[in-house]
Amino acid sequence: QNILTVCFSVGYSAVALNHVIDFKEKKQEIIKPVSPSELFPSLPIVQGTSKRIKVLTRLTLVVSDPSHCNLLRSTSANIRLYDIIAVFPKTEKLFHIACTTLDVDLVCINVTEKLPFYFRRPPVNMAIDRGIYFELLYTPAIKDSTMRRYTISNAISLMQICKGKVSSQSENKPLELRGPYDVANLGLLFGLSESEAKAAVSTNCRATMLHGETRKSACGVVYTVKKPRKVEEEETAVPACKKAKTQV
Amino acid sequence: RGPAGRGMAAAAFERRVVRRAAEHHYLRVRLELPDGGARPNAAQFKQLVVTALRELHGEVGAALPVDILTYEEKTLSAILRVISSGLVKLWSALTLLGFYQNRRCAFRVLQTSPFLLALSGNSRELVLD
Repeated sequence: QNILTVCFSVGYSAVALNHVIDFKEKKQEIIKPVSPSELFPSLPIVQGTSKRIKVLTRLTLVVSDPSHCNLLRSTSANIRLYDIIAVFPKTEKLFHIACTTLDVDLVCINVTEKLPFYFRRPPVNMAIDRGIYFELLYTPAIKDSTMRRYTISNAISLMQICKGKVSSQSENKPLELRGPYDVANLGLLFGLSESEAKAAVSTNCRATMLHGETRKSACGVVYTVKKPRKVEEEETAVPACKKAKTQV
Repeated sequence: RGPAGRGMAAAAFERRVVRRAAEHHYLRVRLELPDGGARPNAAQFKQLVVTALRELHGEVGAALPVDILTYEEKTLSAILRVISSGLVKLWSALTLLGFYQNRRCAFRVLQTSPFLLALSGNSRELVLD
């Protein structure tokens, strides 16, 4: 709750509470996420606007084995309660599977160690086409200078491959949190252009939220086919008038 | 030139248009030190900023011309001035600073602008009626 208060004072307009599941330990079950209304009876207002801050819930799965991915396909009721689902692949094969077939919103990249696999362009491009973003943690760069080097070098190699479709993430303690413009400035360090850096904190995160919402709500597709009209009807048809553009 | 009215003194206006990008950028920052230890004075604060630059950008970064225009020890907030080309370096160095004398700390950049006058008002503190 302390962290959330700091988040709000620094200027974020939407926060996602993360719950990490590591499959190496046995018998991990997905528990129900903490409902935001339990933490704050009334959410404070975003600085400078009149809207309230959104608090979402997020699940991160640390996968090191393909059998762990079966959980995503299971119809466990609790997994549907989370707004955003992220996966943290540990091997190259899993990275490929995560980018191409898994039903997730984010792919987390570990920045604190030398990556055991290189990024290849085909799975990364497929992930971008599906609307999946990659994610980096920036907190290790604050703690330690060795971590800082690894973070920056991994981030730069990620940026080169994925053309900037990145969002950022912070960790536990309130002092390690940084404001949105500070994080956007870090994006400039990692090799993004200015607009991409700002998008990494704002547009890409919003796109991830919408991706999560559509993933939760999409069940089927309705396909309408226009029936061919007869010629006489067309002569008497009223010319189509322009409809007002609907905002999505 | 403004017109001279009857009985009024002539008002002379001169308009200058500067098309260059601003020379300096100004930052209002606040240092957060949650533990209630000794607070740094102005010289130590400047030393902290230079150390942050040196840790991230090396000797070249530490040589960046940064000035502290004002410093309040009670609230640990300051207004810094830096050459415009060095803004990204200074800002990233302040963001990634984690420790002051082995105590956890954090820099919060409150406002930044190429004009000093713009730092006097903060639209984020305004409250809607």
